Amino acid sequence: MSALPAREAVSAVATLSARELTHRYSPRRGLDPVSFDLAGPGVTAVTGPNGSGKSTLLRIVAGLLRPSGGSCVLACEGRELPARARRPAIGLAAPDLSFYEEFTVGENLSFAAEARGLDDPRGRVRESLERVGLLARAADRADALSSGMRQRLRLAFALLHQPPVLLLDEPGSHLDDDGRVMVARLVGEHAERGLVLIATNEEREKTLAGHAIQLRGRGVGDPA
Amino acid sequence: MPATRSSSAGAVWAILRKECRSEWRTRYGLNSALLFAVTTLTSISFVVGKIADRTDILAALLWIVLVFAALASLAHTFVREVEGHTMTMLRLVASPTAIALGKLGFNLLFLGVLEAVTVPLFLVLVGGPPLHWDRFLAVLGLGSVALAAAATLVGAVIAQTRGRGALFAAVSLPILLPVLAGAVSGTRGQWNGAPIGAELRLLGAYAAALLGASLILYDHLWEE
Repeated sequence: MSALPAREAVSAVATLSARELTHRYSPRRGLDPVSFDLAGPGVTAVTGPNGSGKSTLLRIVAGLLRPSGGSCVLACEGRELPARARRPAIGLAAPDLSFYEEFTVGENLSFAAEARGLDDPRGRVRESLERVGLLARAADRADALSSGMRQRLRLAFALLHQPPVLLLDEPGSHLDDDGRVMVARLVGEHAERGLVLIATNEEREKTLAGHAIQLRGRGVGDPA
Repeated sequence: MPATRSSSAGAVWAILRKECRSEWRTRYGLNSALLFAVTTLTSISFVVGKIADRTDILAALLWIVLVFAALASLAHTFVREVEGHTMTMLRLVASPTAIALGKLGFNLLFLGVLEAVTVPLFLVLVGGPPLHWDRFLAVLGLGSVALAAAATLVGAVIAQTRGRGALFAAVSLPILLPVLAGAVSGTRGQWNGAPIGAELRLLGAYAAALLGASLILYDHLWEE
């Protein structure tokens, strides 16, 4: 990966450091050792070939996956957050994020807001749906959404609690041009006050980032 | 980060409501559990008739019907999250302990509804001596807590395994045997007018031990 100079940490909302961070999906290696220092606010792209570990890296940062080796330290407002305490600080939109199909769009987000203990859950749901252009579909069941609409719902879910760290795994997938413009706007807004990591190989999404972490994993087909 | 309320109790409550709403919409577990209970009791009544003098058989029959009617649905609350790919969403909004406690609460409610239908039907169709209601309800209540705690724990443990069908039977049997033994003996004892203090203590202690072990284990579940 490319070594990144950390921004001034004094005013940073969030900092993220990795040292020789690695993960194995036995027996296959999911993430080759990677080290970096990031400090928000700002946007960083995580790039690399298929199978190089972009999604794995984001899941480790989110605290969903325990790394096989190395360390990953996330701190918000100067306070280090262990993996189990990262939920309030992390917003994740990833392709494997699914919703309850028997619930409406609004009900899915209301449940998430209530489980997160947010004040004014209805207001939060309305605001996040408005931001991704999905407010008109709030009463639709989740299983009635197109793939593009589902992607917008994932983004609304990630933004719901206004987290200081936003992890976007292929945020533009399935989106039309308007949707991609919306992603660029959301990333720009969030980057003013938080840390954004975008796992992508899309040129348009790479340009949103001020920095890049280039994963040089073995990629598809290499069993090592 | 936005303002949040004290989140643990709120998350448990949100998950309990979500489970109830999901069950109400899909009737996934309740219909099949009730169908099993009604079919079994009707068949027994049709073939054997009333067997009021055999309290040992009656007690065993009641708990076998309750356990088998409830078990698949109780353990399936976690499997549904895995098969519906909603586990990632759930893990992002609540701690493993809150998730498990919410599901335990739902399982207790589920058992309550099942028993409210099955027990009167059992007494009408299969018969039995007059119940000592206070002692019977004590056995039923403690047995239900132990059964729900056992099924929730087993469901949580097997949910992410590949051979969960086979594993469910293998893990459930030793965990459920003490519940069945205590509940059947206690139910028979209340019918016979025998002291059931030992059975109540067994069920209570076993339920407490299962809940205690669960609270310790739940935070380490689903660590990939």
